[in-house]
Amino acid sequence: MELYELNLYDVIEGLKAKKFSPSELFESCKKRIDSCEDKIHALITRTDDFAKSQLDENPAGLFAGVPTILKDNMCTNGIKTTAASKILGEWKPPYDATAWKFLRDAGAVLMGKANMDEFAMGNTCGSSAYGATHNPNDLSRVPGGSSGGSAAVVSAAYVPFSLGSDTGGSIRQPASYCGVYGLKPTYGMVSRYGLISYGSSLDQIGPFARTVRDLQLVMSVIANYDPMDSSCFRNKNHDFSHNENPSIKGKKIALVKEFQDFTLDAPISDAMNKIKKILEDEGAVITEVSLPIVARYAVACYYALAMSEAHTNLERYDGVRYGYTVNDASSLKEMFERVRSYGFGSEVKSRIIAGTCLTEPKRCEEYYVAATKVRTLIAQDFAKAFNDVDFILQPATPSMQPKIGEVDDDAMKGYEADLYTLPVNLAGLPGLSFFTGYSENKLPVGLQLIGPRWSDSELLHAGVVIERHTGDPKIPDLN
Amino acid sequence: MAELTFTPVIGIEIHIRLKTKSKIFCSCSTNTDAPANTNICPVCLGLPGSLPRLNNEVVEQGILTGLALNCGIRPKSLFFRKSYFYPDLPKGHQVTQCDFPITSEGFIEVHDDNGNLKKIRVNHMHLEEDVGSLHHSASDGRLEGADTSYVDYNRCGTPLAEIVSEPDVASAREAVEYVTTLRRRVIYSGASDVELEKGMMRFDANVSMKCSDGRWGRKVEVKNMNSFKALERAIEYEIKRQKKLMLNGEEILQETRHWNDAKGVTSPSRVKEFYRKFIVEPDLPPLIVTQEWIDRMKAKMPEMPDVKANRYVNDWKIPREVADVITDDKNLAEYFEACVSAGANPVRASHWIRTEVLRVMNENQLKIKDFNMKPEVLASLVSRVDDGKISTTQGKEVFDYMFANNCSLDEAVAKLGITEGGVAGNALNDIIQAVLKANPDVLEIIKSGEDKKGKKLKFLQGLVMKETKGQAKPQEVAQALEEAVKG
Repeated sequence: MELYELNLYDVIEGLKAKKFSPSELFESCKKRIDSCEDKIHALITRTDDFAKSQLDENPAGLFAGVPTILKDNMCTNGIKTTAASKILGEWKPPYDATAWKFLRDAGAVLMGKANMDEFAMGNTCGSSAYGATHNPNDLSRVPGGSSGGSAAVVSAAYVPFSLGSDTGGSIRQPASYCGVYGLKPTYGMVSRYGLISYGSSLDQIGPFARTVRDLQLVMSVIANYDPMDSSCFRNKNHDFSHNENPSIKGKKIALVKEFQDFTLDAPISDAMNKIKKILEDEGAVITEVSLPIVARYAVACYYALAMSEAHTNLERYDGVRYGYTVNDASSLKEMFERVRSYGFGSEVKSRIIAGTCLTEPKRCEEYYVAATKVRTLIAQDFAKAFNDVDFILQPATPSMQPKIGEVDDDAMKGYEADLYTLPVNLAGLPGLSFFTGYSENKLPVGLQLIGPRWSDSELLHAGVVIERHTGDPKIPDLN
Repeated sequence: MAELTFTPVIGIEIHIRLKTKSKIFCSCSTNTDAPANTNICPVCLGLPGSLPRLNNEVVEQGILTGLALNCGIRPKSLFFRKSYFYPDLPKGHQVTQCDFPITSEGFIEVHDDNGNLKKIRVNHMHLEEDVGSLHHSASDGRLEGADTSYVDYNRCGTPLAEIVSEPDVASAREAVEYVTTLRRRVIYSGASDVELEKGMMRFDANVSMKCSDGRWGRKVEVKNMNSFKALERAIEYEIKRQKKLMLNGEEILQETRHWNDAKGVTSPSRVKEFYRKFIVEPDLPPLIVTQEWIDRMKAKMPEMPDVKANRYVNDWKIPREVADVITDDKNLAEYFEACVSAGANPVRASHWIRTEVLRVMNENQLKIKDFNMKPEVLASLVSRVDDGKISTTQGKEVFDYMFANNCSLDEAVAKLGITEGGVAGNALNDIIQAVLKANPDVLEIIKSGEDKKGKKLKFLQGLVMKETKGQAKPQEVAQALEEAVKG
């Protein structure tokens, strides 16, 4: 077995026991990346030299010497950060995102910045200005998005864990497509400081790994209070320690009544049945909840809010201070127009235009303001459901991994596919995307478990229970 | 046909920079005089990924400002993003409370043209961030046509209070009184020093005209006034302009006009107003102000200047004009009250401050804080003069000596050779005889009865006073001199 194949927990234990050195681990991961990256194209920037310089300083802490990769919308001091957009050019942030700072302080070593949909807008990684990423399990298929690169690097075992961000499913859907575990934590659990904003009230950073226990380890480091993010939790203690023998006996786990008529791809509905059986065998009660407002309005509400916030978040890219600019504009207006016309890709542009229209004074009340009200109702819908049940079980996505290029023609179809993930962001809930096994075509199949706010650690305990039955994903042979 | 009359209807928007150590959403210093772009960080530069966090001190100064304007403080307020593109605005939107502000209505009292008090209603005060400052290479200092433009973001993110009045102002004079009174109250509250020369107070005015024939002119927004004088002139100009248009039956365009201080005119804004829209700032939670917090800030509020001036007039019988002068400067008023506490007669003390203290402050370009004479010292000087131990003339000499030499009252009295209690009796008669002896011609004129207006006698009296170094009582001198002349 190669060192790069080790899970996070085993890496930490191995390093602690000095079975191998951080440098040996680094070389193994580097070699793996060298041999696979041409095929997968999961990274926008490789940071081998930076990683070496970190190792030279003998990092200490829980993750001392553990290689990791960040989605390229997290700021890294002195290292190019692009959000997969041309508009940021060669910009090197002068500061570290807090989540990365926590990891770095714990000794983690940065191997690269992962590809993503431009400004996290998309669900295939296809809107990246740096080209598409391929699913390690089937190179002809998409890895999902927007954190497709972060999911692919864990699936392909470049590194034992990575960070992504989730605004409407951008961790859970690619985790499901790539056959890894991904957690979208409760809104406010992980600091967003240094995460390049898409929809500020929906964005949340979370981890990818190949076991649930590894997610627990990452959460124990990054789920800390940060005064730099006003939406970050205060005065709450979160214990992400691993429980060897968790139980879900007597827990009520619900399916969403309104979603039962929707069509799922066969491997996904098979997985639903399989997991229901496992949960019942473990003593859980499978039941049903109704989320009428979620089912009817969540997609419209989500896009109204996300695009309204996004277009204001992207107003800062004007070519004045950083990133791509033009030097020969004859007026200020021309400069703004040329910078933004060239710098943004078409998906980003369409969302900026939509956001601008949705908040336009004459329509603002009807769309943006209405959406903020509906959002409250959606949160209430969930709160009511969680009075009766502990978790909700549902797919992370209704369909299997599409082929690259297959999905891009019908934007609305892509938006509908997010119905299983985006209500979770609207209500600020935690959602775990977990691996269930492989389809007949040897494609990984994932599902999603959702809990009430701040139930992240219980969600992970339940994940451990399921994992005992499903086993961990296999690392694809890419050589 | 009766002659048409016009009533100006004016609303004023004021931006005041609040006095805080750090900026509204980050911990950068608010010192805008530092070298360009030295007080900046990822947050006030709006770098990708940075997030605002609200500075508590800004909220406290905001509450104080609200209280100074007689506003209610709202338990919950929100921040919004106000979108427009400009190089001095690094996020492409300004974070402002506009639609859901920290205060409710308030008012400021001014005098109308008949001298009666009237209320100018304050619609609200809200908190927001300032933008950076632009420096253009063009000769007219404006962006259009400049070869090069520089942006200094030191000012970006410094805290502002925007105060929006109702259209209750009826003249340029009322406008000036409104902003003067308002500024003074804000300074008293401690929320800001409002130094005008540093651009810490800026004005926009909405001017429209109501005609006696029932016509209403459209509202015109006039921008770019940075001094009381500019505000006054801009409003006067705009009133005149609109009146003329209405008299000619022409249309007044609803527009934004730019005040050109050098030319003394308003002209249509060259920069087209950016299309603005607002969404809730998703990176900041609602601002919650508890009653306990409001009470704590209320306890910090000092007596307001107009209340103070009324008290001086009513309780201490100080002339209104002197009371207004003293309360104009909070520190001066504190100095005055310390004098009174130290035992000085309020009317006398106010007079000394009005004449002597303000004189040396003006002559030496001093602020009262830098004035070296302690209020207790001035109080004892005032008392000694009051008691007749020192004459007024001597008192002024003592005052100047103490100021120039930074010494104590006793030292000054000793150095100037003043014997307390004065020159009287035989000592006075000796001096009078000496003076008469030295001026026989003058004495002759008086004796001959030609000094009908008493001018020559006054002249001798002055010589005697001079000889006594002002230590004799003028009345005694006059009496003794009269007797001596007769004798």
